[in-house]
Amino acid sequence: MSDPSSINGGSAVAMMGKDCVAIACDLRLGSQSLGLANNFEKIFNFGHVFLGLAGLATDVTTLSEIFRMKTNLYKMKEERLIEPESFANLVSSTLYERRFGPYFVSPIVAGINSKTDKPFICGFDLIGCIDYAKDFIVAGTSSDQLFGMCESLYEPNLEPEDLFETISQALLSATDRDALSGWGAVVYIITKDKVLFLIYFF
Amino acid sequence: MVGLSFDNYQRNQYLAAKGVGVPKATSTGTTIVGCKFNGGVIIAADTRATAGPIVADKNCEKLHRLSPTIWCAGAGTAADTEMVTQLISSNLELHSMSANRSPRVVTALTMLKQHLYKYQGHIGAYLIVAGIDPTGAHLFSIHAHGSTDVGFYQSLGSGSLAAMAVLESNWRDGLTKEEAIKLCSDAIEAGIWNDLGSGSNVDVCVMEIGKDAQLYRNYLTPNTRAQKSKSYKFPRGSTAILKEDIYKLVDVEEEVVNLDTMQVDA
Amino acid sequence: MDIVLGIKVQDSVIVATSKAATRGISILKDTDDKTRALNEHNLMAFTGEAGDTVQFAEYIQANIQLYGMRENFDLPPKAVNHFVRNQLASSIRSRKPYQVNVILAGYDEAKEEPSLSWIDYLGTKVDIPYAAHGYAGFYTFSLLDRHYRSDMSVDEGLKILKLCSEELNKRMPIDFKGLRVKIVDKSGIREIDVGL
Repeated sequence: MSDPSSINGGSAVAMMGKDCVAIACDLRLGSQSLGLANNFEKIFNFGHVFLGLAGLATDVTTLSEIFRMKTNLYKMKEERLIEPESFANLVSSTLYERRFGPYFVSPIVAGINSKTDKPFICGFDLIGCIDYAKDFIVAGTSSDQLFGMCESLYEPNLEPEDLFETISQALLSATDRDALSGWGAVVYIITKDKVLFLIYFF
Repeated sequence: MVGLSFDNYQRNQYLAAKGVGVPKATSTGTTIVGCKFNGGVIIAADTRATAGPIVADKNCEKLHRLSPTIWCAGAGTAADTEMVTQLISSNLELHSMSANRSPRVVTALTMLKQHLYKYQGHIGAYLIVAGIDPTGAHLFSIHAHGSTDVGFYQSLGSGSLAAMAVLESNWRDGLTKEEAIKLCSDAIEAGIWNDLGSGSNVDVCVMEIGKDAQLYRNYLTPNTRAQKSKSYKFPRGSTAILKEDIYKLVDVEEEVVNLDTMQVDA
Repeated sequence: MDIVLGIKVQDSVIVATSKAATRGISILKDTDDKTRALNEHNLMAFTGEAGDTVQFAEYIQANIQLYGMRENFDLPPKAVNHFVRNQLASSIRSRKPYQVNVILAGYDEAKEEPSLSWIDYLGTKVDIPYAAHGYAGFYTFSLLDRHYRSDMSVDEGLKILKLCSEELNKRMPIDFKGLRVKIVDKSGIREIDVGL
């Protein structure tokens, strides 16, 4: 046991395409080298906003429940669903609240603003610093590998079908080189009126 | 509860005692500078954010707005510079509304240094604060422990030595706006090229007396990536799929209800 | 070195725990029961720090019982699992966290399906077809990966458990004094003697 954010393993990635976004994660949950489960999803959706949470599994579960509560309260107060940009700030302030005792997670957010139809992706460090990006966001134990894959495979303005191939191959290649990630994957392709949800194995 | 929550601090101390390390936050291994000129003040920054040896963000924003005419450049722990800046910005706005005066740079400076001193350096924000107020143009720097400096030119961050070398050799009294912009962007470029923690582009903010502050986002882009000569697009159907689902998520229906004619049960 | 195993089959869950109670180099007891019945259809098996385990298990047991009495309704497995996870997830952020890992075996009467949940002292929770804490997993998961089917009968499940038990007896450095085996299904919790 050394670093809390790599006890359980796992990775997530998000990409921006032409009028669409994609978010994907692996399905492994382990305890150090021992793989325990191949059904541990790290992507959660709150209305049309998608949140990927890589890191310490207990904190992944805890935070997903916290955000479920917070977005439900938001929905009741505002009588509308939360938009990706607002949700990003909600994540940021929730994490910074624990500045000196952080949750050991690297969250990523993806979604399309339902008013403006603008695609949005961003990432955070464990204390809530937002990393806005126009291309891709990576997180988890294979983030180094994902950076390399995305930097070379990514190109702007991909159609949903092409974005799916790019994000899938980036994630698969990256997790294949990480002992703590893999064991199946899920990809979500989000366009302004529908979500494609795909699982695949290797 | 007032202030930040220390709840998980004990858990992490416990985990640390068991030999668990604490992961690194994004830090802005950074070059930021500021310099006064005849009739105003300028701040500038690079746009690289790092997490250890990895470049986390190639084009981040390190220039923050405290008020329309007071801006600040941040180095150190990225989340801290962002959050401390937002907090003081809010308080500055509230203060100026209750005092019915436009905010002063020294007010921002005092609020920032008192906040940072209270946290004894644990909030890792290193800032260059500059701006225009009714008393003129001002330039300050603040360290995470709460100490502040005044000067005609300032530099902070891991690239501050490279930047200061440029500032020290080229700064003189009575610079024009254009000369000051050149000096600041040169200083940032020195950081971009010579400091590994800094890189990518130059952002500049010009605050001139009697004018609105002007942010020049990506004033210089000396590191643009060339177009890839080959596309790495995969043929559709490359990736094997096990299961596919389609969700239609958003389906909002709106209806106008006339309140006068609406029937209400007694 | 304690062994805690759980296998979910067609319409029940098999739970096996080692009978040895060890302190340092001594085996204090060879009839230990590392499980607590939380209510009619929920069984919790546990390992971890000596004092913490039973203290935690009986605290959970008392609270689940209390809920059943107050509401005249027994919590279903899913609710029990989340309650236990929440307790452990809050505990890990306290001054002295419980160092307890648990496996929760249950049967949901409404849904008419068995449930198996793996939860560690950090509050990590996963629902899986077969589960183990500690070193037992390293020796048994490969066997379970090879032989497990989700539509097995209890007898078929017990056959795999026998394979696991043989492997553990062969590979474990100390005698764990055999396994205590319990079944959770629609008729409740019962202990069976299968000579392991």
